[in-house]
Amino acid sequence: MSTMLDQLKEILVSKLKVTAEQVVPEATHEELELDSLAVVELSLVLEQELGIKISDDELLEAPTIGDMVALMDERSAKV
Amino acid sequence: MSSPSGPSAGRVAVVCGVGGYVPPGIVTNEDLTARLDTSDEWIRTRTGIAARHVVDPGTATSDLAVEAGRRALKSAGESQADAVVLATTTPDQPCPATAPHVAAQLGLTGAAAFDVSAVCSGFLYGLAAASGLIASGTAERVLLIAADAFTTIIDPEERTTAVIFADGAGAVVLRAGTADEPGAVGRIVLGSDGEHHDLIEVPAGGSRQRSSGIPPEPGEEYFRMRGRDTYRMAVEHMTTVSQQAVESAGWRMEDVDRLAAHQANARILTAVGDRLGIPDERRLSNIERVGNTGAASIPLLLAQAAEEGRLTAGQRVLLTAFGGGLAWGSTALVWPDVAA
Repeated sequence: MSTMLDQLKEILVSKLKVTAEQVVPEATHEELELDSLAVVELSLVLEQELGIKISDDELLEAPTIGDMVALMDERSAKV
Repeated sequence: MSSPSGPSAGRVAVVCGVGGYVPPGIVTNEDLTARLDTSDEWIRTRTGIAARHVVDPGTATSDLAVEAGRRALKSAGESQADAVVLATTTPDQPCPATAPHVAAQLGLTGAAAFDVSAVCSGFLYGLAAASGLIASGTAERVLLIAADAFTTIIDPEERTTAVIFADGAGAVVLRAGTADEPGAVGRIVLGSDGEHHDLIEVPAGGSRQRSSGIPPEPGEEYFRMRGRDTYRMAVEHMTTVSQQAVESAGWRMEDVDRLAAHQANARILTAVGDRLGIPDERRLSNIERVGNTGAASIPLLLAQAAEEGRLTAGQRVLLTAFGGGLAWGSTALVWPDVAA
């Protein structure tokens, strides 16, 4: 089974035009060039594809990919 | 006793003319960067817009509407209509409605005339109203115009809205016909969510603020929109209502030859098109050169696409819109043999 980081990487690469090499735990929104609308799109896709509800505000407040993965782990554990 | 379904059973509205108009003034991204803290790249990546048309001082929504209406009547080979429906967010005045003035300017004094207020979904709400006028036998021929001088409610110093909104008009002529004809308007799926009325709004200038006795705060007379929430709601509602309209028409999504979505923002259009599984080459778009023209967006897009040969007779078109209210709508029709 793939890790949460792999699942996030798959979504960022396939839906948000991020390159796979960019998706490392320490990468920030700015480094991935994820603007505010891209973060809303990510929030929508996480819910549609993985059933994980994280608001765009929460994603924007997560400084790095590693922090987003931690949020995803926390939310998916509650499902 | 009349038949159970009434004297106008089987009558439906059929599109028989289309026209669009944008005012001559053009504002490019470079023009905006001269007065706002923004850049061509920022505007293009966030909105997909490169230029937009704006009214000259003194030009009103009715001026745009009259020109689009004239072009649609010419396209239909008609000079008469017994009803004029105008969808707009920016009427010439708070009172009266703008449609009677537009009708008079077109030589249609005496015709039924009224405005429809549904912001960016105005054309689809107007289409439902116009279809009803024909189906009920109230009118034989309806001129439906959607026009907005949207820049008149935009704060020129507010970079998030000033780069997006623009002015324009589009119109269709509808005549009484039957459901099996190309251009026949079938069911229009409409919806609203007033719980989120403050997502897209002009806070001041209406009875709520006026009756309070409190003068508006600076800027409250201008349009405002919460961008991220609007993106989310637009994508979700436009996707769902489009699926309902296609199903209601008895089509499958792969039957759709052309998607004519409200040109809100290129990012929203991509997100909706991708979710619907409609390939890029089937999506009509003019947002790069005209911006978001509010209610006018869909008929202006149809008129330009028909004129440029990107929309042709017999193609199955899916129309879909979302905007302030919140209000949304969608319908599916076979494009008729009309020249813009």
